[in-house]
Amino acid sequence: MLIEMFEKPLGMRDDFPSIVKRKSKLSAAGIKIMEQYGYEMLQTPSLEYYETIGKISAIADNQLFKLLDNQGQTLVLRPDMTSPIARVAASKLLKEKMPVRLGYYSNVFRAQLREGGRPAEFEQMGVELIGDESLYADAEVILLATEILRDLAIDSGRIVIGHTQLLQQVLRGYGLEEAMVEKLRAEMVAKNKVAYENLVDGLTIEAERKTSLKSIMNATRLEDWEPWIDQDDAIQLSLYGDMQRLKSILDRNGLEPYITYDLSFMSHMTYYTGMVFEVYGKGSGFPLGNGGRYDGLMKQFGLHVGATGFGLRVDRLLEAMPAEVQQTENALVLFNEDNEDLAHEKALELRQAGVNATLQFAPAVNALDEFSSLFSQVIRLDGGQNG
Amino acid sequence: MDKLTIAMPKGRIFEEAYELLLQAGFDLPAELDDSRKLIVEAPQEGFRFILSKPMDVPVYVEHGVADIGIAGKDVLLEQVRDVHELLDLKISRCYIATAGLPNTEMDEMTPRIATKYPEIASQFFRSRGEQVEIIELNGSIELAPMIGLAERIVDIVSTGKTLKENGLVEYDKIADITSRLIANPVSYRLKQQRIDELVKRLRK
Repeated sequence: MLIEMFEKPLGMRDDFPSIVKRKSKLSAAGIKIMEQYGYEMLQTPSLEYYETIGKISAIADNQLFKLLDNQGQTLVLRPDMTSPIARVAASKLLKEKMPVRLGYYSNVFRAQLREGGRPAEFEQMGVELIGDESLYADAEVILLATEILRDLAIDSGRIVIGHTQLLQQVLRGYGLEEAMVEKLRAEMVAKNKVAYENLVDGLTIEAERKTSLKSIMNATRLEDWEPWIDQDDAIQLSLYGDMQRLKSILDRNGLEPYITYDLSFMSHMTYYTGMVFEVYGKGSGFPLGNGGRYDGLMKQFGLHVGATGFGLRVDRLLEAMPAEVQQTENALVLFNEDNEDLAHEKALELRQAGVNATLQFAPAVNALDEFSSLFSQVIRLDGGQNG
Repeated sequence: MDKLTIAMPKGRIFEEAYELLLQAGFDLPAELDDSRKLIVEAPQEGFRFILSKPMDVPVYVEHGVADIGIAGKDVLLEQVRDVHELLDLKISRCYIATAGLPNTEMDEMTPRIATKYPEIASQFFRSRGEQVEIIELNGSIELAPMIGLAERIVDIVSTGKTLKENGLVEYDKIADITSRLIANPVSYRLKQQRIDELVKRLRK
């Protein structure tokens, strides 16, 4: 393949100054809130072993960037942040002081299979709360995620909450074979109501139970879940009780109008075991982020503790954020050989007053008028007139 | 009321789909398709229709520029997009099948398959453990076996008339096809009440 001079690898992007500026504001705002909630920021390596993080990450194998190190080991560019953080938390250093609250703002890599326009490297920010199995931990991460959205002034955000384990328990309650439960769950992940209903139609159970099984994909409020909860099943009752308490915490924080409770909501990320959620906002056609409880993942690192967290996609937050109106002031100071010292003084003065000041040796610029038009203020010490 | 943007496939499916919306009692302009406009408003219902190529409907919906859309299952099988599949509209019924010249065996090594649906064709033959060479064509697929380009084709069959007229016979049925109502995952959550209401009325 012939590579053109300006080409970049599939899915890789240059970020131009205007985007970089918005991103740095966004990261500052996000990190501030995470720290206010007591989360400590963490960075992990860009490269990890395929055998560990690559396999645990729950990102499809064909989406991993793989390479070999000089010892012949297969490496991956980190495809997500949750599994590296779980690794860190499980390592010796942090074992003693559970629960730990860790936050991140990092780029992750996922190879694109089609449409080169989608980014294969993007930034994510989020938190992981490790070592707390209570629903209060789940409530905390949802509240934190919504606080970040509110701070970024993202319009009409919405959160959908489901519960992986409760759904599993409910489906098993219909006396279906495990393979069938898996099939039904797969259609829920694929958001394919038609195929789900067709599967249920083909089951050999009473018509009444069929109707109730079918309607699982229609629930939007937590009260709607009630009919599916088996009052004789202790696990279901306790999980449903947790969800009710979670809801009352979220309601108390004024989130009631923004939350949909959908028992059939499932994430494509396979490591979630409990409460799962996804975040949406006007302005982006794709979810802004997702999260949930992933107690199973910690076991892979030999640690039997609960964990919960979320990740938000920075590129999609940028789409959903209102456009910036406020222009920052920037000044241009043009000078020549005779007044270089005066120019330095002038620039220093401007910078101290909070104005971005660009110093430019005037004879080095070909089109002075055009160059000057990029600035809100032009100070000419080179003897010329403002154009 | 938030406007609901609906991507509609131009051509064969359009008439039936539009008729379905009228039957569901929506107050829509009587004629839509005969203009050359690509965007048509139906202000009484708060709908905006985008008229697009059938293959492009899931693209608009996945990217969220259309909230919902009507797409053939053949297109959905071929493209695997991240969209909600909400309702089987049971219109434009047909199926995907393999076909070829009568009484012919497929080449043992790598038989050639001509199709408009490379993904569906490849998946079908892989599931049977057969190695094939897929040749992607954009139309008149029936031509391929007649002129010796391919031994089999994978294509939509509705009445079987086109196959017959070209002296081809059907071999394996791959999947039943109808049109589906699909929704963008974000729109589905942000406008769930309106979309659920629409589904309910179309279901009747």
